[in-house]
Amino acid sequence: MGQKWLISGSPGCGKTTWILNTIKENQGAYGYLRLTEKSNNGQEKLPESLIDYTFLKDQAPHLQDLSDCPDTSISKYKDLLILIELSQSQSPEELEAVGKNPYVNSQLEALNLQLDRHLHFGRDSELPNNDTLVFKELASWSLNLAKSVWDPQSLNTFWFELVNGAYGDVYRAKGLMNLPDGKSIFFNWIMSQKGSQFLPLKTVSPPHGRPKRPSGLVIQGKGLDCKNIQSTINLCLLNDALLEMHQMTLRDRQSEALRTN
Amino acid sequence: MKHAVISCLHANLAAVKAVLKDIDQKGISDITCLGDLVGYGPQPNEVVDLIRERAIASCQGCWDEDIIEGLNACECSYPSQLAEKRGHLAHEWTAEQLTDINKDFLASLPTSIRRDRILFVHGSPNSQHEYLLPDMNAFAALERVDKAGADTLFCGHTHQPYVRELKNGSIRVRLQNTSNNNAEEKEINLPMRKIVNAGSVGEPRHGSTNATYVIHDDVTGEVEIKEVAYDIELTCQAIIDAGLPRIFAWRLSHGFEFAEQAEDASHVCER
Amino acid sequence: MIERWALVSGLKGDLETYEMIQSDLKKTRGVKTLFILGDMIGPERNCDALLNRLQNPRRGDLQPQCIYGWWEEQLLAEQGLRGEQKADALRLNQGEEAVTALLNAVNSTHLKWLASLQFGFIELDCGLIHGSSADIGDNLTSETSPLILIDRLTRLDVNRLFTAHSTEQFHLELTGGGLNSHVKDLNGESQYQQKVSKQSIIGIGAGEYYTIYDVGSDKTHFLSVGGQYNTKGKGFA
Repeated sequence: MGQKWLISGSPGCGKTTWILNTIKENQGAYGYLRLTEKSNNGQEKLPESLIDYTFLKDQAPHLQDLSDCPDTSISKYKDLLILIELSQSQSPEELEAVGKNPYVNSQLEALNLQLDRHLHFGRDSELPNNDTLVFKELASWSLNLAKSVWDPQSLNTFWFELVNGAYGDVYRAKGLMNLPDGKSIFFNWIMSQKGSQFLPLKTVSPPHGRPKRPSGLVIQGKGLDCKNIQSTINLCLLNDALLEMHQMTLRDRQSEALRTN
Repeated sequence: MKHAVISCLHANLAAVKAVLKDIDQKGISDITCLGDLVGYGPQPNEVVDLIRERAIASCQGCWDEDIIEGLNACECSYPSQLAEKRGHLAHEWTAEQLTDINKDFLASLPTSIRRDRILFVHGSPNSQHEYLLPDMNAFAALERVDKAGADTLFCGHTHQPYVRELKNGSIRVRLQNTSNNNAEEKEINLPMRKIVNAGSVGEPRHGSTNATYVIHDDVTGEVEIKEVAYDIELTCQAIIDAGLPRIFAWRLSHGFEFAEQAEDASHVCER
Repeated sequence: MIERWALVSGLKGDLETYEMIQSDLKKTRGVKTLFILGDMIGPERNCDALLNRLQNPRRGDLQPQCIYGWWEEQLLAEQGLRGEQKADALRLNQGEEAVTALLNAVNSTHLKWLASLQFGFIELDCGLIHGSSADIGDNLTSETSPLILIDRLTRLDVNRLFTAHSTEQFHLELTGGGLNSHVKDLNGESQYQQKVSKQSIIGIGAGEYYTIYDVGSDKTHFLSVGGQYNTKGKGFA
């Protein structure tokens, strides 16, 4: 194969879902890579990349993450179909101008990637048209929630408040949240679509301490009350003692089940 | 004679004033309050002052009790960690604001008020913390009223007003014990009883943001559920000015409770 | 396969009775489980020997599964293992002497085990509890209002409630009936009839009076130590 496709579009248009469906429906080996519009000064991955990649890898374990590859070595993956995701939050008239974005170009050049195809949501008819929102000057807020575990009922309340506008006009919210029973749930909400998507990951962490898998939350919207989002989240996360209490019950139940089986 | 029953004022002065005005305009002078004068809302002293000034007979609610006795509500009565932490925050703020005189007043309130065969309580005759929801097991609901020796029970606490009549009931049983050789069968006819939930003045949760209360005619037995619009913006601004969490204002203005109510309706605090 | 439970309570330190019950159970077919619904201790005699035996069953004993009862609650409270509470109910009903007698009847080495016991068991759709989930001292008898019995079943969400505190042996089945509920709220009016569910309350007796429950046939047999079945029991032989 050895193809390299760029999938671009605005937040919430369905890029990750389309990539997942493409991987699931077709045989063959796939690689995944994410580009950013603007320079991300730190070396650390953004929560959004972590969420998407963790979700994709859970659903399609054979997927290869290429984002940590040394700059020049990607070209050696000759058998992979490499899907490159690019999220764009510029104004709509600039949306198609991927080629004009010098930062995107510099990333492609640095990786020595020549694109075989460029699929763009809202332009290419083979992509689903999800009636994406048109927004300008979108504020974006993200939080790395690595090792954080939610009280499940509190998470319900927080999510309900968040998507119903208690902390500003949210257009898009996406998260990968850890629960005390070792499950991790992919939360996905877009203003233009009805209801939230809650997809549990297939992989479950053992009930011993804090989970190691990535976790995070990304919110895009207007007039976001970031201070109060953060302070509400702080009230929802379990401390070590409470987490241990939840997990102890779960461990007891598991060993009970083992004994009776 | 008609009398009005109000409940769950939650330190929301604008709502209390609007409801009292509505009752006054109907020429009703007999008012009973089922407690929770304070908690979450921004004007605890103003609301207690008003109830004292108007000499409105009042039961003690779970919030009134907790403010006096320290946090007595067991943690499991909160549906989530978030609700619990918000509740504690509101509790600390309210306890700090309340004057000693008003605290003494709340401490002096009885847990129930009885007028002949009518009983007024905050939650249930068992506990200030128990929710009597309209879809609670009918037999268990009847047991609450009957055991308390009442025909009609007025309660609040759930913030959803309703009138529930329990009638034409019977239970058939078969008894086997060591003294009878053949199982004994009998049928017990149940008495007719009524539960009236007065809803909430200061923290409505019935789907709209209006305050609710009830009017009871003790001659005809008829109960009317009343809805009163009030200036929510005024209360929301007072919440923000008082430094209480902004989310309280948002929840109030959307008709949600400040903290969600416990999901287990039959939950009774064991402490 | 026959599965029977033996239900015992109110031994109050009486090892002899316990040994006789164990001996009876050996002769009874199908008894797989022995539940002891509290009141293993009491103020009348020293309870240490019974408590030792319950914690360390002899070979051939049916392994007892114990929960705590009203007397254990009083002792644990008085010994400071129930927070601020003391044995107030006992003190009020029987005076200071009874409290002292209770303290003297149980060696403190047993406190840890007593404090580790559960309030009740839920087995299949049965609740096993000393009084009821409303109160450890809930005195449920065959004369208790069926409304209260339904409330206690509802609280535990079980179809059968085995209770011991009243010391009475009885099996009260709710066989029928209903109650009309008419609700008016701001959305309108609704009406429905709540039917009586087929549920039971079983008083298991105390001391030498105990009960065998046949899980498959849902039959109870009231027995006494070394004696005949206390009811028209059909026997197990």
